[in-house]
Amino acid sequence: MPSLKKATSTMNDTYIAVFGYNSMSFELINQLKKKHQRIIILDSDPNKITQAEKNNLVAQCLDYRQDEDLISLGIGSHLHSLFCFLENDSENVFLTLSARSLDKNLQIISIINQPESAEKLLAAGANKIIDPYEICSHKVYQLLSKPNLNTILEQVVFGRADLNMAEIVVPEHSFLDQTFIQDLHLNKHYNLFLIGVADKDQEEKLYFSLGEQDHQLAVGDILIILGSQKDIKHFKQKIGEIE
Amino acid sequence: MFTRLVLYIAYSLKTSTRYHRVKLGVYDVLENSRCRLKSYFDVFMIFLVMSSIFLLIYEVKNPTQAWMNYFEDTTIFIFLCEYLLRGWIYSDIHKIIIQQHENTKYLNQKFQIHKALQPVLKNKLDYLLSPSAIIDLLAILPSYRPLRILRIFLIFRLFKLLRYSQSIQMFMGILKSKRFELTTLAIFMGFLIFTASTAIYLFENEKAGGQIDTLYDAFYWSIVTITTLGYGDITPLTTGGRLITSALIISGLSVIAFFTSIIVASFNEKMNEFQQHRIKGSIEKFQNSIILCGFGRVGQEIAQQLHNNNKNFVIIDNNPQHFELATEKGYIALYEDACNNKTLLQAGINSAATDILCATGNDVTNVYITLTSRYLNPDINIISRVNRINNSKKLYQAGANHIVQPFSIAGLLAAEHIGQPVAFDAIHGILHQQKDVQLETLTILKQCFLDQKTIGQADIDQYKTRLIGVISDNPNHEKHRNRYKLHSQHFYFNPEEKFLLTEGDILLLLGRKLSLDSLHALIEKSHLHYE
Repeated sequence: MPSLKKATSTMNDTYIAVFGYNSMSFELINQLKKKHQRIIILDSDPNKITQAEKNNLVAQCLDYRQDEDLISLGIGSHLHSLFCFLENDSENVFLTLSARSLDKNLQIISIINQPESAEKLLAAGANKIIDPYEICSHKVYQLLSKPNLNTILEQVVFGRADLNMAEIVVPEHSFLDQTFIQDLHLNKHYNLFLIGVADKDQEEKLYFSLGEQDHQLAVGDILIILGSQKDIKHFKQKIGEIE
Repeated sequence: MFTRLVLYIAYSLKTSTRYHRVKLGVYDVLENSRCRLKSYFDVFMIFLVMSSIFLLIYEVKNPTQAWMNYFEDTTIFIFLCEYLLRGWIYSDIHKIIIQQHENTKYLNQKFQIHKALQPVLKNKLDYLLSPSAIIDLLAILPSYRPLRILRIFLIFRLFKLLRYSQSIQMFMGILKSKRFELTTLAIFMGFLIFTASTAIYLFENEKAGGQIDTLYDAFYWSIVTITTLGYGDITPLTTGGRLITSALIISGLSVIAFFTSIIVASFNEKMNEFQQHRIKGSIEKFQNSIILCGFGRVGQEIAQQLHNNNKNFVIIDNNPQHFELATEKGYIALYEDACNNKTLLQAGINSAATDILCATGNDVTNVYITLTSRYLNPDINIISRVNRINNSKKLYQAGANHIVQPFSIAGLLAAEHIGQPVAFDAIHGILHQQKDVQLETLTILKQCFLDQKTIGQADIDQYKTRLIGVISDNPNHEKHRNRYKLHSQHFYFNPEEKFLLTEGDILLLLGRKLSLDSLHALIEKSHLHYE
């Protein structure tokens, strides 16, 4: 396995595995590359592997049915996330099941074709299910009913403009601990928009800051904010998460 | 002189818009099944017929009262008006006369009034002799005092109901379409009855010791027997008579079986047609509808959302399984190829439709539908699904306003999930309406209560919604921070308190549906108030 050695040797710490090199995973790989994530592409079809290698991607031909191959890939050691983008739901279920039995903490994200497969994949141990058809239909409906919203999201939030979404975990000994959401006024003080807060103690239940019931922050709660890279960085410095 | 008067009237009718308007109005009420007034009129007429029949039955044993006569007279008057109006709208006399006049002028002949009136009379005679007109007339006639004997014909009023009920019309249509089979059956039955009556008369006459003494008895007996009804008031006593009876019962069974099967088969054949007809009727009633081409996985999801939001939509799919699924769910669907101009026109592309969604799994089909739709309607909003990224440019060339790539959005979202899964879930939930909280855009209308107010004055927080930003093309804001270019406008993220809102600005808000809707209503209301 020369290519894998090459891949793992350059990756000292964690990396992401994407199973399936096809039209479905194409955009995913692009996005992950943009985020400077370390990725390895796996497919059982050698032709697709050569194709991926032509595009300067780290790729390896692998049979997902063999547990040994999965272990040698780094499941259970230095693989932190796994994307199941194989073409059949049954393949994705099998892969999820095998990977989960090897590593309890692995992030497994899988694509589905049929809505009824969602339950099976979750039962097999996937963390997140993505139904492209459902998302597509939502998108079409959004274009139809809220065209303005769609433009903003596309151009600004998901686009190239410097407006990002970020998660900030409330660190220990920061002024955030024990503050009420109402009193934060992130928009005035830090030029950030607070979308909501996920409570750590209640299985990450989401509280929106809409001025209804107030929520007191605690260590480990996650703030979901929207803002420019610079402002987010500034805020992180203020709460002492980064120097 | 008379000729000139007729021609003058004919031409002035042709140019009179009022005449045409009135005639069209009458047509709508009496004949146009798409007109709402017609259904009210039909219900009213059914009521009249039923109540007059009820009075007829009541009078059999009870004394007639004065108000009943008034009611009867009114009913007759309405029936008479309807009869005459139907005759009037049946055809346009003035058109026929003008046509005749122009023909003779062209041929350089002399215009003769009696020649022109011939086709007119023929035309109106056609109306008088049409079955429904005869029924109408028979329903009116018995009320004329000297013809009181014909009271039995009042029953014909019930036949008038045929006109007003669609299901009866449907049944008549079936009978009409099976005219040949039914005629054959009737001839066969007539032959059977004739033979059987003759035979039974020969065997069972009183001289031979039977009960049948007239040919009419024989005829009555054979009808009772052939339908397997068998009252038993006349029974065969001789051996020959019994043989005839057995034979007639068996042939009677086959006749009835034959008749039933004709009707059932015809119903099956016509059912589809009626359904399609009904669907076309409901499409024509639509306003602001959406055409959804393709009912595959994506199409089904979209349809579900449109349905949940009470939008009108028409599905076009030529896959029998998809079509069946759509009808099962109670959606309005056309079992046609969406690439045909005819299909798209039928779905209302040039009338009620505002948007077209191409959701088929085949890019070639999507391009073709997009191209066809753009050609048929240059202003319609076309949103198309594209499966291969390389084809997106072609779809824009074909005229699509927006394209959606299922796999690339899925990839984008999957990548978002790495690093910030909580934020991903939040935004995913908000965007896809899985949570009650939504993102919404609201436009500032002229003179509404937010127009010419600063963000600080507006205090949008009091409506329990949060302002994320404002889209504006107002050049005054150019110095404002957090400016993001958005086509010809700018998006101002987290605007300052002194930011002035003006007409046409769009607010991007986060909030629960309830508060967003109420804010929207407030804007609309204050806008209308100042208008």
